[in-house]
Amino acid sequence: MAGLLARIAERWNIHREPGFFKKLDHKWTMVIDLDKCNGCGACVTSCYAENNLPVVGKEECGVSRAFSWLRIERYVEGEYPDVKVKFIPVMCQHCSKAPCETGCPVYATYHNQDGLNVQVYNRCVGTFTCATYCTYDVRRFNWRTYKFEQPLDQQLNPDVSVREMGIMEKCTFCIQRIRAAKDKAKDEGKTVEDGDIQTACVQTCPTGAMTFGDLQDADSKVAKLAKSPRRYKLLEELNTDPSVIYLKRVMKEGPSKHG
Amino acid sequence: MKRRNFLKIIGAGGVGSGLGYLFGKANKPPTSELIPYLIPPEDIVPGVASWYSSLCTQCNAGCGIIVKTMEGRAKKIEGNPLHPVSKGKVCSRGQASLQALYNPDRIKSPLKRTGDRGKGSYEEISWDEAISILSRNLIALGEKDENDRLHFLTSLTRGSLNRLINDFMTSYGSPNHLQYELIQNKNLLFANNASMGIQTIPHYDIANTKYLLSFGADFASTWLSPVNYSSAYGQMRQGEDGIRGRLIQVEPRLSLTGANADEWVPAKPGTESILALAIAHLIVKEGHYKGADGAAWKALLSEYSPKRAASITDIAEERIHHLAKDFVKTRPSLAIGGESLARYENGVSGLVAVNILNHLAGNIGKKGGVIPNTAEPLTGKSTLESKNSIASLAQAASDSKIKTLLVYNTNPVFTTPNAMKMKESLQKIPFIASFSSFMDETTAMADLILPVHTSLEDWGDDFAEPAVGYPVATIMQPAVSPTLNTMGIGDIILSLAKGVGGKVKDKLPWNGFSDYLKDAWKDSYSKNKAMSASALTFDGFWNELLARGGWWPSERANGKAVAVSPNAVESHISKTPSHFEGNESEYPLYLTTYPHSHYLDGRGANLPWLQEMPDPMTSVVWGSWIEVNPKTAAKMGIKEGDTVTVESPYGKIKAHAYLAPGIRPDTVSMPIGQGHASYGRYAKDRGSNPIEILPFKKDANTLELALNSTRVRLSRTASSDKMVKIEGSTRELGRNIVQTISPDKFNKMNKETA
Repeated sequence: MAGLLARIAERWNIHREPGFFKKLDHKWTMVIDLDKCNGCGACVTSCYAENNLPVVGKEECGVSRAFSWLRIERYVEGEYPDVKVKFIPVMCQHCSKAPCETGCPVYATYHNQDGLNVQVYNRCVGTFTCATYCTYDVRRFNWRTYKFEQPLDQQLNPDVSVREMGIMEKCTFCIQRIRAAKDKAKDEGKTVEDGDIQTACVQTCPTGAMTFGDLQDADSKVAKLAKSPRRYKLLEELNTDPSVIYLKRVMKEGPSKHG
Repeated sequence: MKRRNFLKIIGAGGVGSGLGYLFGKANKPPTSELIPYLIPPEDIVPGVASWYSSLCTQCNAGCGIIVKTMEGRAKKIEGNPLHPVSKGKVCSRGQASLQALYNPDRIKSPLKRTGDRGKGSYEEISWDEAISILSRNLIALGEKDENDRLHFLTSLTRGSLNRLINDFMTSYGSPNHLQYELIQNKNLLFANNASMGIQTIPHYDIANTKYLLSFGADFASTWLSPVNYSSAYGQMRQGEDGIRGRLIQVEPRLSLTGANADEWVPAKPGTESILALAIAHLIVKEGHYKGADGAAWKALLSEYSPKRAASITDIAEERIHHLAKDFVKTRPSLAIGGESLARYENGVSGLVAVNILNHLAGNIGKKGGVIPNTAEPLTGKSTLESKNSIASLAQAASDSKIKTLLVYNTNPVFTTPNAMKMKESLQKIPFIASFSSFMDETTAMADLILPVHTSLEDWGDDFAEPAVGYPVATIMQPAVSPTLNTMGIGDIILSLAKGVGGKVKDKLPWNGFSDYLKDAWKDSYSKNKAMSASALTFDGFWNELLARGGWWPSERANGKAVAVSPNAVESHISKTPSHFEGNESEYPLYLTTYPHSHYLDGRGANLPWLQEMPDPMTSVVWGSWIEVNPKTAAKMGIKEGDTVTVESPYGKIKAHAYLAPGIRPDTVSMPIGQGHASYGRYAKDRGSNPIEILPFKKDANTLELALNSTRVRLSRTASSDKMVKIEGSTRELGRNIVQTISPDKFNKMNKETA
């Protein structure tokens, strides 16, 4: 009986800790400084260009089917003339305890050795479970096979597959760039260094609000920024343990009429 | 069917398809479908990207970019990390220039008009025919001694292309080369010249300032050099030194930059210059200005008391005191005047007032202030030219003084108000040729259309304006081979020179624009000491230039301090707020318009990424809207998404209402860029163009069109078109998503960690 209970307890722990790897190769992390972000949206367009995101048109946008893996959320406080506006870029948070991973019946979404929450398009059968479980509303579903008007299709990135109807997808932290950098490092007999990998959004961000790197590397930029007292994670209380760390916006509390 | 018949059909079919195959083979050499990888082209390795450094031409900032190409196709654009303007960054418009290259609506070959003008019926012709039609036209003009009846209208061209066009026009015998775009900073250039005596736009050192007082400068989306200023903004906020710079935004409608400001000062439209002068008044009055001409300034600014300013601007007197104190006490501080200030009817006076502020607070020539750029860029001359304007061109056209008009890359039919009658004036010109990649509204009026390369297929160079305290030259090189039957603009002009012959041909004997460009740089190389010191031979220099993406000195030159004198500015400052057309009882609301952060003056509207990308301030996609304060809307019974008629004394348009808390209740605001009548499938018939209903008002000094110059009234109307926005609620509803920390706590925290 005691053995059975111990076994149940063990199973339960495995169930509670779906990160099957005790030690990760890397812990890819993004730090976003909300005091630098000005909400311009260059990251969003860059993501469209890098990841072959389809343009769905006005009607589809109207029924919440816009494809952006990365969006800028904008929140407004107060009324005229005391208006405050806050911006926050939100993409897949690559949760270490990801709700989406527990839901998928075909293991299309799982955690890999780099601490990334990855999506296997070939396995996905489109049950929509992951999107329902997702806390951050960052998963996008291919309701149709969206067309890339010729010759706009000549721009498609050959390093990223073009998805078809019935597939769930989301931000990958530009896994193609991570793979390329790791392969190159391996060929040269080195390990990936800090700054070798930049995701498309990080590379383009005009204000330099975003930083990407390996949290396990103590000397990396993200590891240093992650120690900032301004750090917080999105909806932290839900215990999803995201890999995206935000730095708080510096802003006067209460009415701001006289600066 | 009988078995025999069946076999006959199968047999005939088999023979047929076999013949078809052979016929196809005979017509196409087999290599046309294969890349001969036995001897592969140098820059094509399957699966491996080649990068080319080049220049972004989506706006006039002059950012250096690098283009990722694979298998001969452009895939991605990134900022050139070596480039002093873009610093490895690029904005949405820059990213989307790939979609201009691969746009399905590009003009595919030269076109000749067949039906009535403006009806859109064209036939395809060959390049030889197109060039010969145009050369014959120019020769005919010359024979009638009407050379000066040729006008060349271009976008803001700088560098070698500008020189080529000028050489072409001068040797042909016409002085009429006009550069026109909706946003060309003529007012800023004029104001700076009048008050500080500098002919170029200075470097506004946002990165190092600690107090940025911005009068309507939306540098996060469109003002002057958005990528450079955004990167500077990031540094200002969270720079190395740990002291966070503050941003104060003065404008009637909260722009994207305003949304990031620590303080928003919603002055009444057209009164910002009075507010600036009231701050200046206080600086002098309270003895913060130490210059010898203090008494003269005091006299000049005497009537701008904060009390009077408060009643005009609708900003409390106490707050003006507060602004003046912070501006002069925080070191270094910087005042900038942007597009919304520059585009009132007295736009120059507002910008002059901003210069006065910088002078009185001692910000000119200082780190973190205004750093004048050297007057002489590397080559070429300054673009300051205010004698002519698009209005005088329209006038000349309607007086039938223009016989032939050449248009390159600019769209005055879209960017001028209906009251100016641009389209009607163009109808009076006997022959119009347009050099354009797209069928925009102006190109649709042309008799001959010569499709040009996009910037990713062409050669060129550019001298960034504003420079960054030292001159920056950028080289544009083709990242991909031309995808369609198009030609570079420089090549067109050179072949035209051959076709016209005579003096023009003698002046421009080059075979292609790339040779012309290289020779121009050879010239600079031999004249410029720093350039010739950087490489032993010109060929070495040229290769380095193409690899790096341009040339800039490795060290920053010291910007010289320039003074603003009371005498120089006296005639330029205004005593009254800017005028708005229409009386208040009939037209109760001020209309302000602004270039949209994605479409700019309308040129980005044909790029699907930019259409689908939510507007930063409203999240509206694929359309246009009018921003109305919720209180104003409630009074008029307007709900979000309602279609309203926007009526000025000069016409009316329809738009969807967006209820924005960040706008004055007496003001409504509309973005420029949508409402195209042509310009391809993504842009056509989408939203509306507020420029249509503006009055034909211009600044007296520069003849620059005033964009913020009319009042309007709104009324609800019916429409089948729906406004689509991406956002749900704009309120956080206690979810604590964007967490904040107060500046005091932040400073305390910084001290603790330091």
